[in-house]
Amino acid sequence: MSLTVELWQMLVVFFSAIFTGNILLTTFLGMCPFLAVSRQVKASVGLGFAVVFVMTCTSLLNWLAYRYVLVPLELEFFRFILFIIIIATFVQFVEMVLERYSPVLYQNLGIFLPLITVNCAILGASLFTVIREYTFLVTVGYGFGSGAGWMLAIVAMAGIRQKMAVERVPAGLQGPGITLIIAGLMALGFIGFTGVLQGG
Amino acid sequence: MSAVAEREPASPRPRPRKRESALRKTMKEGLWDNNPIFRQVLGICSALAVTNLVLNTAVMCLALTWTTALSCLTVSLLRDWTPHRIRMMVQTLIIAFYVILVDLALKAYWPEMSRSLGPYVGLIITNCIIMGRCEAFARSNSPGMSFLDGLFSGLGYSFVLLMVAVLRELLGMGSILGVPVPYFSTAWDKWIIMVMPPGAFFTLACLIWIFRSIRSGEEEKSA
Amino acid sequence: MREKPWFPVLYMFVITAFFSSILIGLSRFTRERVEVNQQLAVEKAVLEALPIELPPEASSLELHQTFLERIKDPSPASGGAYVLIAGDKVVAYAVPLEGKGYWDTIKGFIGIDSDMGTVTGISFYEQSETPGLGAEIAQPPFRSQFVGKRMAQGNRPLGFLPVGSVLGESEVHAITGATQTSTRVERIINEDLLSWRSGVLSRGDSAL
Repeated sequence: MSLTVELWQMLVVFFSAIFTGNILLTTFLGMCPFLAVSRQVKASVGLGFAVVFVMTCTSLLNWLAYRYVLVPLELEFFRFILFIIIIATFVQFVEMVLERYSPVLYQNLGIFLPLITVNCAILGASLFTVIREYTFLVTVGYGFGSGAGWMLAIVAMAGIRQKMAVERVPAGLQGPGITLIIAGLMALGFIGFTGVLQGG
Repeated sequence: MSAVAEREPASPRPRPRKRESALRKTMKEGLWDNNPIFRQVLGICSALAVTNLVLNTAVMCLALTWTTALSCLTVSLLRDWTPHRIRMMVQTLIIAFYVILVDLALKAYWPEMSRSLGPYVGLIITNCIIMGRCEAFARSNSPGMSFLDGLFSGLGYSFVLLMVAVLRELLGMGSILGVPVPYFSTAWDKWIIMVMPPGAFFTLACLIWIFRSIRSGEEEKSA
Repeated sequence: MREKPWFPVLYMFVITAFFSSILIGLSRFTRERVEVNQQLAVEKAVLEALPIELPPEASSLELHQTFLERIKDPSPASGGAYVLIAGDKVVAYAVPLEGKGYWDTIKGFIGIDSDMGTVTGISFYEQSETPGLGAEIAQPPFRSQFVGKRMAQGNRPLGFLPVGSVLGESEVHAITGATQTSTRVERIINEDLLSWRSGVLSRGDSAL
């Protein structure tokens, strides 16, 4: 594939990962932290940034590991374990670096990092790049876009929930129930973006 | 669920009754009281996406129940040997092992299903329920009970997901397991929204609402 | 022994080695089967797009036999399509279709008669479209529309029209509610047919 075609595809995949194929609202990944943390905008923004960073970096690392280690050794089935190890190690590493070099950032973002290791969206994004056989550049676009899409969803959700904090929600729906309904409405809204992107 | 537990014959001797009620307790916990989804709202990620078809959901739930039960069994068998520090890595490895077995089997013997389920089989590994049961129960209980605990947690999860799937496929496509259902496949004006992602969110939300209302009703009565 | 500091490392190593070797063994064992499955899926799709009588309950082996007997592999002369032969004569071509669907790659074949214009059938062996909507392209009702249609001259050999429209001899109905998938499939079919047609015609009529 020529470079311009690839760059174009990367852009298309980036936008579609945010809008038309949002990793949370269409493929349901990353729901646990989404339901738990989306009460407040501040926390959601923090977690969102952390997710964007980790998702972009780990999709790249996992792509490289898959292409240059697993495929040559014919160990493709091992990707589940290897990806998890890479993600956990990367997060651990980032936590250490943050703690050492930027106490401020560590205070704000560091607490979210352990949460990210179990965020299935991170693993899911890497698995999707394998299934869809994305090239390296497209993986960059997809990883970054998925993270951004996830962050968009969680921040929007937090905004809505904060506004709704004063509303009377039926007892059975409080918490996860109403959050899921809001998520459903958001997903419905995002479907409006379908067809905006050709080839995405 | 409690109906199933009550069918067991009451035994007059003290020891069997104690063993038997531990079993009943485990079953009831996994399926209803501590139903992973309703009660703890755990682990929905990896399966909601496939709930638009009952068949796919059934395969997914089978895979998850298999993994949970066997992982708990294995973790329990190794519990005296596993050093405390690395227990989470070992648990992850064991869970991944059983999941990969399922993935390999599907790819070889049912490739269309493997493609339909996509990455979601692999994502069972990160499903909080399995790790949760291993940590909370299998680490400190006998292999037999751990296996059952894992089994019933898996079944509790499956029961909810299958309900979502039945509703989605019935209302959205007029069939169950691909078999057209009399009224729904003909006169019923199919709810396309059920086939799409928002449908999953709404259905699950309503089921949680119903379950929690029933639960709080039960709790009020016994309080 | 359990209290020694190196025990966790050893334990992890042993456990990993144990489980991994089981998995590697099984992976090797199933690998061949996976490849065979993929090959059979392609062969079945080729046969379904062509005007061959296939018994409804044909086993994989029977399909494979039929494929070996009647189908010639793609060559530059056939424009990259599989060719159905009867004796020495070309009966039809199975033109490969490949492109991005709404969710993922769609792969299939469209069969064209040796008159280079009439469609004999269409099949899909890989698609991940929405069940009940886009995925209907793989079902008989959608696919049977194509039999007997004629490729139009010009840039749009086959056209997709909404359900309810009157169809010409080069048109089929799209799938209601699956606009995205329908649009993409239409594009894939037309692009691949155009490139095949020009590929074959540039080599003259005797495509074998």
